[in-house]
Amino acid sequence: MANTTNLSTDKKTAWGGGKSPFSVSYGKLMMWIFLLSDAFTFSSLLIAYGFIRYSFPSPMENTIVKPLSHVAEHFTEAMNKAGLFVQDHWPAPELVFNHFPFIHGLHLPLFFVSLMTFILIFSSVTMVLAVEAGHRMQKKEVANYMLLTIIGGAAFLGCQAWEWTTFIGEGARLYGNPFGPRSFAALFFIVTGFHGFHVFSGVVLNVIIYINVLNGTYEKRGHYEMVEKVGLYWHFVDLVWVFVFTFFYLI
Amino acid sequence: MEHMDHTEHLEHTETPADMKSKIWHTFWILLGLTIVDIALYFALLSTHSMLKNALFIVLGIVKAWYIVGVFMHMKFERKVLMYMIIVPMIFVVFFIALMLIEGDYTFQLRW
Repeated sequence: MANTTNLSTDKKTAWGGGKSPFSVSYGKLMMWIFLLSDAFTFSSLLIAYGFIRYSFPSPMENTIVKPLSHVAEHFTEAMNKAGLFVQDHWPAPELVFNHFPFIHGLHLPLFFVSLMTFILIFSSVTMVLAVEAGHRMQKKEVANYMLLTIIGGAAFLGCQAWEWTTFIGEGARLYGNPFGPRSFAALFFIVTGFHGFHVFSGVVLNVIIYINVLNGTYEKRGHYEMVEKVGLYWHFVDLVWVFVFTFFYLI
Repeated sequence: MEHMDHTEHLEHTETPADMKSKIWHTFWILLGLTIVDIALYFALLSTHSMLKNALFIVLGIVKAWYIVGVFMHMKFERKVLMYMIIVPMIFVVFFIALMLIEGDYTFQLRW
């Protein structure tokens, strides 16, 4: 508190030393810088994706399969025969990612990935609610919201595992796939895998913080700033998903 | 530092109820924008243009602004922190645009 009131001094003394000119603690500032560098890493992957995607022709025009229409078994083979999945053309994401758990024989393009997006956005909300409860020093509330965030993260990881299993089950590999150019599946695995690993790390961090909250570590420390720092990371993971979703599924 | 005082003032007089309603407000905006994304995807299924892609990217950036600004609290941090993060990212956007154009040249050479 004393730190923040000091910082409303004028511009000249703010950079004079002795206090953070950024008006945030060292740990939070370093988290921001780490996230910036991590954003560069993800950008390089998305730039590679954009470049490769644009060096291939657009997906073939789909006039056969409408959303919610019935599809037979061996959908991928049928699409190969119909000329919608060809090696030279980038495949249309709506024809590749059209499965939903427990629902068979229906063309449900992007439904599952939209659900994943909602799960991640919602877990971001519970995270920010945990941070807000931390400002009020409400240990129990922080713990409950942290638990909800962990459940959201785990649910997202489960969804991704299912998505990968389905994708691999249809013949997608790092070195080739039945949908289109070889780099299509390779890029999918690398980018969503790298993001999924971030989600996994975030869940691990959230579990550690959750245990600390339950043990009263931050209650003793007098502030819940650690929840805020891990929260920054968690929101970043959500932010990256917004762009993965845009680039991989919508464009 | 008139402005600085103003933002700090805002933050400190905020009641928990205000903050909570702001969080939920942002959640509904994000949810709405995602639904708009999906609706646009289906509405524009048979069109392929740079404009459509630009539309999705702009929607993504708007969502990013709400996540970074409200959830990550950047709107309420000092401006210098905000510029430290945003200025490098502007160059990244520039880099993405350049590489998409480059990808198009590769396409023209190949096909």
